[in-house]
Amino acid sequence: MSTRRQALTLYRNLLRESAKLPSYNFRMYAARKIRDTFRANKTINNFEEIDRQMATGKDNLELIRRQVIIGHLYTTDKLVIEHKKKLKPSDD
Amino acid sequence: MSFTQIARQCSRFAAALSTARLASSSLVGQTQTRMMHRIVMPAMISSQKFHVRQYSAKSTIEDIKFRVLKVVSAYDKQSRCGWQMRKYSAKPPLSLKLINERVLLVLKLYDKIDPSKLNVESHFINDLGLDSLDHVEVIMAMEDEFGFEIPDSDAEKLLKPADIIKYVADKEDVYE
Repeated sequence: MSTRRQALTLYRNLLRESAKLPSYNFRMYAARKIRDTFRANKTINNFEEIDRQMATGKDNLELIRRQVIIGHLYTTDKLVIEHKKKLKPSDD
Repeated sequence: MSFTQIARQCSRFAAALSTARLASSSLVGQTQTRMMHRIVMPAMISSQKFHVRQYSAKSTIEDIKFRVLKVVSAYDKQSRCGWQMRKYSAKPPLSLKLINERVLLVLKLYDKIDPSKLNVESHFINDLGLDSLDHVEVIMAMEDEFGFEIPDSDAEKLLKPADIIKYVADKEDVYE
């Protein structure tokens, strides 16, 4: 049986791992998907269903961890929208 | 190009120059005395189209100053544009007021919090209407803002902005 605390820890770990994905598109998709899925499933009362969803979440956490490593092996240049504008002294 | 390569090429150039000077002096020496040659040489150089750089000790202070300043200004231009510089400064000093402002700013920018209701003493779940998932996100935003991790056991207790301010102040050794 999964507790509320385990669910919150899983949510936190998923968000933290997904922030490490090097590719902008995967990173944004993962964060959005995690957030939406947890919101959609927050009213589940059935314990079996909760356990099943938690198992899916753990599988996906492992998947994200693998993808982070693979993504760092094959990095590409950052997208244009990812570059932050550098502040110059004249920009005050 | 590394410094050793530059040094090697300089020495090679200097050697070539000295042989050229020897050859010219032997040519001129046939008709003129050595002293005459020294007097004549500057006039010959100025009459020539191409500029010969002199490496003798006779160059004046102005020449040296000009050369050094030229190199320095070129280096300055290079170093100003593009080269990455490492900076070793510490974090800006935190005060309780600064922590307060930063915590409230992060909370105001969070889309599910109504900035008008926000107060240092307002409870995230009871007063601001967040659920536990939003609370986790708020704590993660605080971790990003202040640059250290907040363990789960501590995160559960941080239910008001005032708690977060106190916790951050304790972690960063900020007192009144």
